[in-house]
Amino acid sequence: MDVLSNTKVISLIAPLFLIQLLLIVIALIVLFKAERTRGPKWLWVIIILFGNLLGSIAFFLFGRRSV
Amino acid sequence: MTKWLILFRKEWLEMIRSYKIVWLPISFIVLGASQPIATYFMPDILSSAGNMPEGAIISLPTPKPFEVLASSLQQFGVIGLLLIALSNMSALSLERSSGTAAMILVKPVSFVSFVTAKWAAILSLSMVSFLFGYSAAWYYTIALFDSVRWLEVLLSAMLFALWLGFVGTLALMFSSLIRSAAAAAFSALATAALLSIVSSTLPFKQVWNPGRLPTLAAGSLDTAQHINNSSLSVWLTAIVTAVAIAIALVIATGSMRSRPSDV
Repeated sequence: MDVLSNTKVISLIAPLFLIQLLLIVIALIVLFKAERTRGPKWLWVIIILFGNLLGSIAFFLFGRRSV
Repeated sequence: MTKWLILFRKEWLEMIRSYKIVWLPISFIVLGASQPIATYFMPDILSSAGNMPEGAIISLPTPKPFEVLASSLQQFGVIGLLLIALSNMSALSLERSSGTAAMILVKPVSFVSFVTAKWAAILSLSMVSFLFGYSAAWYYTIALFDSVRWLEVLLSAMLFALWLGFVGTLALMFSSLIRSAAAAAFSALATAALLSIVSSTLPFKQVWNPGRLPTLAAGSLDTAQHINNSSLSVWLTAIVTAVAIAIALVIATGSMRSRPSDV
């Protein structure tokens, strides 16, 4: 295994972070646009922000109330 | 056939509206990519995690590239399976309880095309997500470790995709049998877990067991192990799994036919 330089490591990992960020942003947009959610909205904001990947998945799976 | 395509398109529309088309691929990509990265930085993580005695030296052997890929398959086998079962858990029961199934099925639409269109849409999204995720894992393995031959990667991807498809179909079947979504997801996961535990613990060889598929997929990455696995038994397992998927679809169709609506 060669030793990678710091910038190279960051450039490798950056897309992974960006894609997670994308999911969080989409989840937040959907949350704010939703009329009703299952459970209070502020709780979902906390779950999405701090539970990163699993939090946003949980919101998409359980948080949305179908009208 | 046009009716089937319309139903198929309706299912895709539903997956877009429920944002499943966004979160399922993204979570698979993150899942697949994080495993090689975590393996690569494991020595650093361990040394900075603290509570190590002074002067302790950790020497981890550098895993072989195919082992890294196999461990990301393991991740897909746990969390990926959970995601697929959870995203399919209310596929048919929700149609039934919301009344859409009754609305659609009074029109001249066969039960078979109703169920198979749903199944095809769900599975195609799951397969695409898995392929994205596995490609991400492959890419990071090549970038951080070493290359893996694409033929072996393709073979393992096909075997594992079959396993994911099997569990997704199970979830669809249970969602037609059981009203509660959580119980449907649990039954599908429990069946999958049971099959794979049985395949790895019982001493005799089980060619008929779909639970062998994840092990076969991981094993097909390892070039040294090819000799032990005759391709005939792999084919037999694949065929048995395909038949099981077909039977599950027949059961789901029958269940929708006998009870198209909850009311």
